[in-house]
Amino acid sequence: MNPDPKSMPDPSAMISVRNLSKLYKDFIALDRISFDVQRGEKIVVLGPSGSGKSTLIRCFNRIEPHDSGILSIDGQVINAQSDLTQLRATVGLVFQNYNLFPHLSVLDNCTLAPRLVKKTPRAEAEAMAMRFLKQVNIAEQANKYPIQLSGGQQQRVAIARALCMQPEVMLFDEPTAALDPEAISGVVAIMNDLAQQGITTLCVTHEMGFARHIADRIIFMDKGRILEITPPAEFFTNPKTQRARDFLDQMISY
Amino acid sequence: MTHSMAQFMRRCPFRLRPRVLAAALGGALAIAGSALAADPDLPGFIHDGTLTVCTNPTLPPMTFVNGTDVNAVDGIDMDIAHRLAEYWHVPMVVTTMDFTGLFPSLAAQRCSMVASGIIKLPDREKNFDAVSYQDTALVVVARAGTPPLSSMTDLSGKTVAVQSGTSYSARLAKENEALAQAGRAPIIIQQYPTEDQVVQQVLIGRVFAFASQDVELYYRQEQLHGKVNVILVPPYPEYRHFALYIRKNAHDRELLEQAIATMGQNGQMAAIQKKWAISPDAAKALAHTPPAPMFRWDTFFSALTSTAFMRGAFITLAVAVLSHFTAIMISIPMALALNGRDSLLKMVLKGYVSVFRGAPTLLQLLFIWNALPQFLPVFREAWFTPFLATWLSLSINESAYQVEINRAALGAVDKGQELAGDALAMSRRQVYRHVIFPQALRIALPPTINEFISLLKTTSLASVISLQELLAVTQIQVARTFEFTEYYAAALVYYLGMVFFFLFLQKRVERRFAWADRHKATANES
Repeated sequence: MNPDPKSMPDPSAMISVRNLSKLYKDFIALDRISFDVQRGEKIVVLGPSGSGKSTLIRCFNRIEPHDSGILSIDGQVINAQSDLTQLRATVGLVFQNYNLFPHLSVLDNCTLAPRLVKKTPRAEAEAMAMRFLKQVNIAEQANKYPIQLSGGQQQRVAIARALCMQPEVMLFDEPTAALDPEAISGVVAIMNDLAQQGITTLCVTHEMGFARHIADRIIFMDKGRILEITPPAEFFTNPKTQRARDFLDQMISY
Repeated sequence: MTHSMAQFMRRCPFRLRPRVLAAALGGALAIAGSALAADPDLPGFIHDGTLTVCTNPTLPPMTFVNGTDVNAVDGIDMDIAHRLAEYWHVPMVVTTMDFTGLFPSLAAQRCSMVASGIIKLPDREKNFDAVSYQDTALVVVARAGTPPLSSMTDLSGKTVAVQSGTSYSARLAKENEALAQAGRAPIIIQQYPTEDQVVQQVLIGRVFAFASQDVELYYRQEQLHGKVNVILVPPYPEYRHFALYIRKNAHDRELLEQAIATMGQNGQMAAIQKKWAISPDAAKALAHTPPAPMFRWDTFFSALTSTAFMRGAFITLAVAVLSHFTAIMISIPMALALNGRDSLLKMVLKGYVSVFRGAPTLLQLLFIWNALPQFLPVFREAWFTPFLATWLSLSINESAYQVEINRAALGAVDKGQELAGDALAMSRRQVYRHVIFPQALRIALPPTINEFISLLKTTSLASVISLQELLAVTQIQVARTFEFTEYYAAALVYYLGMVFFFLFLQKRVERRFAWADRHKATANES
């Protein structure tokens, strides 16, 4: 299942990484990561905090530039010379803290990037934004400011905002970590919905329900390395590594 | 006295460019008449049949601008010059200039004579001939009702105000040496930058007395409303005569002396003295002047509605707005650079901020106005007006403060905002323009308005480089009338009016930032 680190990246894969490494001064955040994500696949990245999960998925839209190894997105090798606009239009990212633009209404949050980056006319951008806002069940709040919304509502707006760029890959960086349980279910429902529509999804989360039921594969990381890549059924019932077993024990006892 | 005048003139808020004022004298009749009755013995200093008089019109009542038209030079000296021109049947032309330019211009034959309330001094007479036309005396003046003193030593231990840097303070210092030798307490000398402030200290009773020339005091009697009296006329040999100066020529001097003597005999001189209230009777008249009311409302209201005050307020506002706008424009890229990675540029900018925040604003203004032309002669030229100099120095000064506000505001925008903009494929420029700046603006606005209000008032410092802003206008009016309270009150009204307007504007603008406040945002919706 794991690709040979020495092999070339798979051009047919949506995401393909070989020996991807990232350093923060002396600290090794990512240590020779290699794996492929096929189109339409849903991956959940698990691991204790500080294991490099967020750093990994942030490499995919080069918010965090990697230091060595090869990263290929949709057949394009990504490096310092890459067209970041094109890459980031392809790969959407949803943050733990939503990071909505507080000075813009919900609707303007969704239309800003399409209008600036893709030069989409306002009317068209707004129509599309309303479509996605409807999809995340928040269309009626379109003219409010983020500060007037609850956390769960804000995160749904953030998902709609990312979708407005019509990405081929959606990255979720702990999207439910800042939410209360009620809000979590709403956001998870949206993510399920998206997953069913076939968009390639990588999600860093502690939301085990989503991991268990939706993910095609689980990536388990620790200390910047991938320890396991397995289907959820196998991961949850029969983890291969002691580290993963400890992790799951902690999740359950918690 | 001459020294004191040079000081006075340098500080004088008027900045008159050398300009020529033609005065058609005696009309066509006098000139036509002169063809027949021409005196063949014209002095040599009358060139091309014209009497050219150089003056620095800042010393009432000798030579000054009496009113709002800065081109109209008035005073005893001008009246005497007019009579001299009539005496010789020639037209007269007045050239105004800086005090320091008077004698060089005379030497360079640009003037026939200098008539500028200058004391007759042996030092001057080495190079020029002087003909005195008006007696004068140094007087020590105290509040009305103060008993006269018998000698300068009676001032021992008392406070005396003088205009700073004048020869008066040197003269008093000499008295102090004598007092010290006699083992007595010295005279305490307080120095003030303008003559009117010197007088004010006595009027309000902070100091015991001030030193002045009698003619100036007589002229001011009406303004002073009998609030002061002369307590001593020290027997100093200097400060005795005002003189007209001409280039050295014994024959010319004789002719000028004759002319002055003739004016004394035919009553013209007496008429001039009467007109300007400097006759010996003037001192007596003082005692009968009725006391002024506490606050003259008519003066206050006429100041409030005068074009001079409106113009001053406009200049204050214009220089403040332009300076702050420029400062903001400079400080935004500076703030971005300072928030960025370490570089040589960043070090240079840190130095810039330290220097311009560290140095007093007044010093910076003086440096740009007075010292900069020493290095760069281009700043000596006429295009570099006090307004431009103020704009330049306040922009630089303010940018050093504004950059800290900008830096803090940019730093206060959540880092996640930039990340979100990046993740949405926006370019650097788009992220700053549409995401970071609008949010930083809200944070920066209240301290920026604060800075602006502070700057609006800092512009008053520019009066030292002769910018005719609101406070300079106020001081000129005060110097002319001694109605401190009324003019200060009018200036206060203008300053407060402007500040309140900007505070009101701030409230209006802040309403546009409803997005930052949940309640406001919700209220706006309904």
